[in-house]
This record gives sequence, C-alpha cells and structure tokens, in this order.
Amino acid sequence: MSRNSIRLSVGAVLMGLALSSGGVLAEDVIKIGIPVGLSGANSVVAPSVVQAAELAAEEINAKGGIMGKKVVLEVADDGSGAAGAQKAFDSLIFQKNVNVLISMETSAARNAGLPIVTRGKTPFIYTSFYEGRSCNKYLYVNAWVPDQQVAPIVDYFNKNYKAKTYFLIGSDYAFGRGMLEFTKSYIEKTGGKVLGEEYLPMDGSDWTPIISKLKAAKPDALITSTAGGAPNVTLTKQLRAAGVNIPYGNLAVDEGTAKSMGPDAEGIFISGSYFTTIDSPKNKAFLAAMQKKFGANLKTPNDLSVPEYEGVYAYKLAVEKAGSVDADKVIAALSEVAFEGPRGVIKMNKQRHAPLTMYLGQVQKDGSVKTLSTFKDVDPGAQCPNLK
Amino acid sequence: MATLLDILTTAAILYSVAAGLLIVFGVMKIINFAHGGFLTVGGYSALLITKLGLNPWWSVPCAFAIGFVCGMLIERLVMKPLYSRPLDAILATWGLGIIIGQLITLGVGREVQFVQSPVSGTIDLLGGTYSGYRLLLVLVAVVIAIGIALLLNGTRLGLVTRAVIMNENLARGLGINSGLVRFITFSLGAGLASLAGALITPLSSVDPNMGVPWLINAFMLVMVSGVSLVSLAVACLVLGGAQVLVSSWGNPILGGLTIVVLAAVVLRLRPQGFSRG
Amino acid sequence: MADAQAAAPVAGAAAGVLGRTRLRSLLIVCGIALLVIAAGPYVLPTYMVNGLIRAFLYAAVALTVDILWGYTGILTFGQSAFFGIGAYAAGLIFTHAGFGPGYAALALVAGIGVAVIVAAVVGWLAFYHGASPLYGSVITLVLPIVVSQILYSGGNFTGSSSGLSGFESFDIPIEAWFWIAGCFLVVLTAFAWLFVRSDAGRILVAIRENEQRCEYVGINVSRVKILLLVVCAAIAAIAGYLFASVQMVVAPEYAGFVFGTELLIWVALGGRGTLIGPVIGTLVLDVSTSYLSGNLPFVWKLVIGFAFVVVIVALPQGLMPLIKAAVRRLFGRKNTETADFAPRLDAAVEQPYAGLEGAGGCALAVRDVRKQFGSLKVLEGIDFEARRSELLSLVGPNGAGKTTLMRCIADGNERSGGTVLLNDHDILELPPYACVAFGVGRKFQTANVFETLTVAEALRIARTRLAPPSLWTREEGLALPHASMQVIRATGLDKQLGTEARYLSHGMKQALELAMVLALEPSVLLLDEPTAGLTKPERTLIGGILTDLARDHQLCILLVEHDLDFVREISSRVIVLHQGRILLDGTVAQVVESELVRTIYSGGHAATGGAA
Repeated sequence: MSRNSIRLSVGAVLMGLALSSGGVLAEDVIKIGIPVGLSGANSVVAPSVVQAAELAAEEINAKGGIMGKKVVLEVADDGSGAAGAQKAFDSLIFQKNVNVLISMETSAARNAGLPIVTRGKTPFIYTSFYEGRSCNKYLYVNAWVPDQQVAPIVDYFNKNYKAKTYFLIGSDYAFGRGMLEFTKSYIEKTGGKVLGEEYLPMDGSDWTPIISKLKAAKPDALITSTAGGAPNVTLTKQLRAAGVNIPYGNLAVDEGTAKSMGPDAEGIFISGSYFTTIDSPKNKAFLAAMQKKFGANLKTPNDLSVPEYEGVYAYKLAVEKAGSVDADKVIAALSEVAFEGPRGVIKMNKQRHAPLTMYLGQVQKDGSVKTLSTFKDVDPGAQCPNLK
Repeated sequence: MATLLDILTTAAILYSVAAGLLIVFGVMKIINFAHGGFLTVGGYSALLITKLGLNPWWSVPCAFAIGFVCGMLIERLVMKPLYSRPLDAILATWGLGIIIGQLITLGVGREVQFVQSPVSGTIDLLGGTYSGYRLLLVLVAVVIAIGIALLLNGTRLGLVTRAVIMNENLARGLGINSGLVRFITFSLGAGLASLAGALITPLSSVDPNMGVPWLINAFMLVMVSGVSLVSLAVACLVLGGAQVLVSSWGNPILGGLTIVVLAAVVLRLRPQGFSRG
Repeated sequence: MADAQAAAPVAGAAAGVLGRTRLRSLLIVCGIALLVIAAGPYVLPTYMVNGLIRAFLYAAVALTVDILWGYTGILTFGQSAFFGIGAYAAGLIFTHAGFGPGYAALALVAGIGVAVIVAAVVGWLAFYHGASPLYGSVITLVLPIVVSQILYSGGNFTGSSSGLSGFESFDIPIEAWFWIAGCFLVVLTAFAWLFVRSDAGRILVAIRENEQRCEYVGINVSRVKILLLVVCAAIAAIAGYLFASVQMVVAPEYAGFVFGTELLIWVALGGRGTLIGPVIGTLVLDVSTSYLSGNLPFVWKLVIGFAFVVVIVALPQGLMPLIKAAVRRLFGRKNTETADFAPRLDAAVEQPYAGLEGAGGCALAVRDVRKQFGSLKVLEGIDFEARRSELLSLVGPNGAGKTTLMRCIADGNERSGGTVLLNDHDILELPPYACVAFGVGRKFQTANVFETLTVAEALRIARTRLAPPSLWTREEGLALPHASMQVIRATGLDKQLGTEARYLSHGMKQALELAMVLALEPSVLLLDEPTAGLTKPERTLIGGILTDLARDHQLCILLVEHDLDFVREISSRVIVLHQGRILLDGTVAQVVESELVRTIYSGGHAATGGAA
C-alpha cells in the first residue's frame, strides 16, 4: 500500500509540473485576472461581470490595447467563498502571472485573497459594493460603501414620507450588519428613531417572528439589507404576504432579483450607483455595445458588472500614466486617473475609494427601476485613513 | 396573539416539510438527506406550472407526481443496496441532494425564479391582519396529516406498512413483500417532500438550493419524533413554538438554532424523544 | 497445562521481528515522503506549493475523519468545527491582541484547549451508553452548524461572514510553511498508521464491528469514543491553527457543515479505513478541483456528487482498492500485503477475582428481579442465589424470560426492579462494561464476535480490561488464562489465529466467543444456548469444558439450554422458568422427574399458581 502511495505522489508531482509549464509569462500581453463566483452565492451575477470585462477588453484591444500590448482576461472561479478564493488567487497570481486583478467578489473571498495579493504584490481593483473599510496596500475600490448608499434612501423617506421611525431587517453577515449599523447611526443623526434592528442567519428562510415584531412596532418606514438572492426574495414575499405596505427601502436588491419577485417587488426603493435607465450618452453607448456583442446571451448589466467594465479602463489609464505595469507605479497612478463610464466620471482618490454619483430608484410594476432622484459625487467618507 | 398564530403556522409549515422524511425514516430507518433536493424539485414543479401558464393550484398534484417518480427511480437505483447500511444511506442521499441541485443549476440556471402564488393578501383575524397563505398552510398540514393517517389506517397498503414499521422480519415472515413496501414508501416520501416544496414557494425563493435550509430542521424534528405522525405534530408545535418564542423575545439568530439544539438535548435526556414508550 | 502459572507475559518483547520489519518499512516510506516534501518547493511552481500547503492541512483533518469514521464507525460531520476553532483561535488572538511568540503559543494552546473542551461536551452528548450511531452523527452535524452560526453573529469581533484577514503572523517564507505542513502530515500519518495497527487500535475496529460485544468484554466504549474524539479534535485544531497562520485568513466556511461533508467525500473517495487513501484522496481532489472547477464549476461539482454516490453505493472501500489492483497489474506484482498477524499463545498470569474470598462463595444473588415492557410483564419476582462451582441451568419454554434474565444480570440498565449482586457488588444501573468488572462474563445466544477481526485480535480485545494494550505496537505473545486456552486448543482455534472471524464455521464462532468470554477471567459465566446449532461431538466437547470450568476453576456458570439431555449431563442444579416466574429450583433429578416440567414441555398448560 505505502509503495503505491509513493508512486501516486510522484505522479501528482509530475502532473503539477506538466500543468505549471503553461504559465510562462508572455511579454507582449497584459493579463487581467478575474476571480469571481462562477459557483456559489455569486453565481447569478458573475456571468454579467465577466461579460462586462469581455466588452472592455475587446474595446481596448480594438484600439491598440494598453501601450500596444494586447489585453487578455483570465477568469477563475472563487466559489463565492474563502477556500475557493485562495485557489483562484493562487492560480491567477502565481500560475497565470496576471498583472492585475479586477473583480467583484464576496467579502469572504476578497479577504481570503488579500494576503495572497500582498504576497504576490499584484494590484487589485475591487468592483463590488461592500460594507467598507477593507484596506490593503494593493487594493482599490470603485464601488459604493454604506456611507454613500444609505443617505439617499433615508433622506428621501424623511422628506417625502415624513418618516420618523424606522425598522431595520438584515441577514446576519458582514454586509448586512455593516449596512444596517451605518443606517442606524445615520437615521439617528438625522433625527429619526430606530424601533428595531433584527437579523436572521444567512440561510434562514422563515422571517415570520421578525415580521410580527415589525408589525407590532408600527414604524413609518422599513430598510432591509439581506444577502443577495434567496433571503431577499423570501423576506420580500413574506413581507407582502403579511400585508406590510410601509415605504420599503432595500439596500441589497438589484434589477434582476426584483424581476424574479414579480408583483411583490413593486414599490421597493433602491439606491445604487447604476441603473440601466441612467440617461447618459456613455450609458446608452455601453448598453448598445453590450447588446451588440452578446445579443440573446446578454446578462443584464447591473451595479456589480458596470464597475468591472470601468475598472478595466481605470487600470488602462493607470498603466499609461505610470508608463509601466510595475505594481508600485500602477498603485500610485490609480488614484490619479479618472475614467468616464456609464456611471459617470470615476476617480478613486479618496483613501482608495471613489466619490460616486448615487441614484434613488423605485421598482415599477414590470420590474424596471425608475430613477427618482440623483445625488452628485457622494463622498465615501474615511475608509482607509492610513492609506493615501 | 400574533405570536400564537406564528407558532401555529410555523408548526404547520414544519409539519408539511417533515412529513415525507418521517415516513421514510419510519419504514426504512433511513434518513433521506436528498429530502432537501426533493423539496427543490417541488419548487421547480411549481415553476413549470407558472411557465405553462396554468392555475397555480395545479402545482400541488404536479409536484407530488414528479417527486413520486423521482423517488421511484432513486429507490431502485441507489437506495436498495443501502438498507442494511443506514449511515452510508445518509451519505449517499446527501450526494443525491448535490446531484439534484447541480442538475437543476445546469438545466434551469442558478438564479432565483419567479413562481405564481395561488393565494395572496391578508386575512383580518382577531383584531389584526395575518398572511392568508400562512393560515391556509395550517389547513394544508391538517389535510396532509389526515391523508397519511387514512392511508396508513384505512388501506391494505397502510396495514402492511404498519406491519413493516413494527417488525420487518416478522412481516416478511408473514409473506409481506417488504421490498415493495419500501419502494412505495420511499416514493411516497419523495412525493410528499416535493409537494411541500411546491407549497412553500409563495414564502420561499425558488432556486437550486431552496430545500437545503429546511433539511436540517426537518431532520431534527423527525429524530425527536420517532416514527409517529402524532409525535411529529407535537414536536413541530413544541420546537417550532420554541423557535418562534426565542426569535420573538430573544434573538432570531438564536431562534434559528433553537430546533437543532433543543432536539439534540431532548434526545440526550430522553432517547425516545417525543414518542411514547 | 502445567506451565500455566509459570509462563510470564511477554510484554517486554514489544516490537518483535515482524513488528520491526513493519517499523522499518514505515520509516523508509516516511523518509521518502519527507525527501519529496523537502524537494517540493524547489521543483514545484509557487501556486502549487501554496495549494499543497492547504491540501496537506486538509488531509490532516481528513485523516482524523478516517480514524473516526473509517476505523471506528462514527460518521462525523463535525471535524470541520474543530479545524475552525483552531483557525479562529489564531485569527482572533492575532487580530485583537497582536502577534508575538507569546501570543502565538497562547493561540495554539487556546485553540487546542477550546477544541478539547468542545469535543468532550460533544462526546458526552453523542456517545452515552446505548446511544444509536445515528444520534451520534446528528450531534456531529449540529456542531458545525452551531459553531459557524456563532462566528456569523460575532460581528466585528469574528468578522462575521467576511472572516478575519490580514492579521500579522509568523514571518517565515512559504517554502518553510510547505515543509512544516508536509512534515506535520507525514508524522501524523505515520503515528496514525502505527496506532490503528497497534493492539489498542484494533479496539476501534472492534467498536465499529460490534459495539455491544465490546461493552460485554468490559470496554467502556463511550469513554473510548470520547477520548478518540478529543484527540482527533485536538489534531484538527492544530491543523486549523497552522492554516490560519500560513494563510493569514479565517472564515466561517472552514468551520461549517459543507466543509465537514467535503471531508467525508474526500475520505470516501480515497477509501475509508485506509489512512493513506483519504490523504491521497484529499491531496488529489483538492488540488485538481482548482483546475477543473474554474472551467466547469457546476459540472465538476456534479461529477463529484456522482462519484460520491457511486462510491458509497457500490464501492464502500473507495477507489484505493481499484487503484491498488491496477497498479499491481501494471507492475506485475503479487499481493505484497503481509500475511495476517498471528501471535504466539502464552498462558496469562491469572488474577483471581479480588474480593471473592470475602464473598462467602455466593457468586450471584438475584433478588426480586422484575422486567416489564409497558404492561407486559416478562419477569416477575425472580429470586435465587448461585455459588461458585455451581453449574446452574435455566430451562423453560420459549418466551419464559430466560434470555431476559441473563440480560438483567449482565446490564444494570435492563431490569425494571429488584437487585442483582455479583460477588456481593450491587450492579445498580451500571452498564455492561462495569458489570464485567464485577466478574460477570456473558456469551450471547447467536455467536457474537467481531467479523473482520482475526481470532487472535478478538482474543486480544477480550483481554483489554485485564492487560491494557499498547498504543503503538502489537505484542508478539497473546497471554490467555488457562480456561480460555483450553477452549481454543480443544476446538482447534489455535491453528486459525490469523483467520478473520467471518470465515469461521458456526461452531468455531461459538467457541471463539466462549474463549473471549473466558479470557475475561469471569467468576460468573452467563451462557445463552452455547451449543445451539453445534454437532454432537462439538456439544460434548463444550459440555466437558464447562464442567471442568465449574469444578477446577470454581466458576459459577449460568446456562440457558433447550436440550434437556445436555442439561441433565452437566448441570448441578436446574431452575425452571415459566411465564416470567421461577417454577422450580432444584437438582437435576428433582426437575427432570417433575410432572410439571413435562407438562410444560409437552405444550400443556400447567397451573402456575401451584408451583409457587
């Protein structure tokens, strides 16, 4: 038995060597690594993220690439979790030798990848909205944090519904808690009152006791921040079934999920940095290009995929400004370049985060989102005081 | 008042979800971890009805039939060799659950699906409003319980099944085809699980993993119930009630653990759980 | 058997010739493995080094799953929780307190300490006397769910779903981590290999095969399981600590139920109960997953699911045997597996049962023992005493309660009322292994042995209580008491010491069980139809041995028998049970001549009232 095991392990070593030979760095291309949740919790949104990156790469290559070098994408599945992310980051950084990582991921996956990014000294542009305050020498973020997203909804409820009392419901995970903690402090700062703040485990599906508490508390408005997908759908369905009709702000819903809730989603307020309905030439051109490239296979662009598109361009500008793909130089340049994309002009110059134009929208009967108001260049606040 | 209704409706939902698992456990002494997968199958049966544009009520018989057929196939292909290895059966059915989830993912996609709900709106009750569908589920649970009780007590199949539950060796000695009983029981359990899956779609999301969160609670409820439908009802009321109370007066996160932890402790202190004897 | 008292046990020669060759090949294999690991970082690309570090640590946990599940039969979903506890001990202390040699040591101790405490609690919950294996699995399933939920609700302290990342850790290069993790795995595997093949390790297999028999040879199965779980938890916690230290990240999924099942999948595919199989399975599957899942995330998971189901249903031993056979065919080798280990028989120094002298010759006292199932009374007011050297037969028709009475004497939990004294010790509600310590030995009605253990191994297990086995080696000699040896020699079992019990004939199994019970050096022997299904010569042989035992060794033997001729030949006294009551208690002659007994045995109904 043990002899055989040696043979097996030698075989495994040889296999490893054979596979590794594919990772020789070609000098004339720039490799962009995209670790993304093709499986697991993020697998619904991941394809749209990859499509956005593909369009950006195609456009850049059509115009001569980055400093004459062709852009190549390397996609790896992070399984939407820490264990998968470690494999994906290892493979991209040390096997595929990518020049940069640009991707949206779960917070657990991002956290698991950061030590590997540090070890591999690779720039990492994180393109997912998240709970904030993730700081690393090699990390930039071009999506929103609570400081940017919460204010529009609360301000709108205060102004249009005279909402004084709020109820907060979330999934028990970093994003859910981070968002609602910020929301609570913001509500209290603006003179409102939080009557209750309740969480259900991420895989929980029965919100009944929480909804009963909500109904008993009789708040003026409700703000929720659940995990994406299933918990969001179950909560909304059960809220509607229980006859809850107060103003309902949902910090975690996107247009796609809203559609899958059918009529239950109607009237939900959402706040984000991107809706497909943004009326700007850049957005229209982007949507047309996506439609042309992917046709029937197009995954609707969203607040997680558009930052990916813009992230690729931001990297292009930074490399051109730095005049090299050297990590330190690119890191220095990334805070200085500005790219105008579907979401407007984005510059990651606030402690590695970006001021963003935020939109408040409301889900319509057909599942589309109508923009109610726009908030220009909302500041991300002090996210990483120790970094420039 | 709302708490009482919450307890009642929560217990009803738990009962509907766990009934299929209990039948399989009662007859075969096997825990079917593919139960979550069968719930998912039921949810997607409801999706099929929505896609076909039929009245949502059709999803009830349709889900049961599809689940039943899945159960038949799996019993023949996978379960048969495992009857003498109950621990292996847990693992094999867990693997089956993975397969069902992945097949649905590959076939329909990973995203949450929209399913038409048969009933919506609220009912005015005892000075408050309450979800109509949840109240309806209490009736449904009672119907399921009565249906199973009639099947067990009023038919020849039921008689034979009860004989197998009590003493399989003796039953076989009396010329009862216990293999057939197992076959039908497993298929019935799968059918009931699928039915429950369709029934929870108005409250739950429909996605490839929709059954998984229900699995562990249903499993624990069955463990403390032994093989009796009555003790399952008691367990659902007591443990489901405890979950609602802990969630309402304490914290919903602890509430989520209530059934699992209480059931484990109950079994330690009283191995027969909620069943008599 | 004049040498019975003279021969000393041979414990000194622990590692004999055979043991030494085994040890040498183990050392060679370990040496080669360590060389491969030493060379690893120089020949492997960085990403492969990183991936293997993780896989080494996963494999260490998979190894503990194999010991618990593959060897001992405890299906556990919970080892991930202990891995997570070890990892979070490092993550939490390094994040919130800081990093330094003191904190590093503290984190390791804390991780192991918490894991050990949790394991002890879980063990207490899961492995009480009489717990079903299903219940044990349920508890191990609850554990990771609870632990990961606690981590989720820990907010900023535990980092909730995001886990903790970017804390400071040991400043050593990745190559060194590769060596540390690799050596950890190799040393662990080597020790596990030695342990499962040692005399003590065989107890694990015995528990898997037949927990009840283990209890009745005086092994406190619950305690063995709890100890084993505690040790395995500590190992998993160390692996988790190393993992957090090298990866500088912890996340709830490492403590979760899904990781727990993944470990089971690796072990099942690699081959449970082989140690090497799960290690290889983990390394190959974990590393290959990163290649295949990137391209085909869902299909890959589907393939794993299919493979898992197929292996569980059709190949419970995993893929290792297939690979082994293929390799053997490829290299044209014969089976290199060494022949089954068969030790030399020695006579044990018998330890006369302590306290017997003072017991006044009354070995067994049964006072007003009752047993009922609901309203059904199986035993009522059973009252009798038995002395040393007495061969007492219990007779009566089917359903008279004979076997139930045996059970009530050997297990304190069985009776509904009354008192049982074994050598003047009240058995209270003590479990069987404790009753064994009071001098009782029970042989079951149908041969109750360990199917996949050899005759010698089974006998060694029966000696566990009196001669604690070694944790790392196999003793060359098997020291048995005279009576046990007599049964073995007389039945020819001594020529089949290396044969697995499942290959023995029915009669041989009965003889083996009897020899095992006698190896306990009992003073009260309970035999439930020891001759059922035996041939006439075999029966005569056993009868002779029993009378010898009663006469020469002063055993008190309680015998359940249907065969009245056999009873007449060997008994010194007979008790007739009928409908849960003692009908007659007298000498053979009294009973055999009794009209009452004839009536009962001819199927007629006697007036029970008349006999009381």
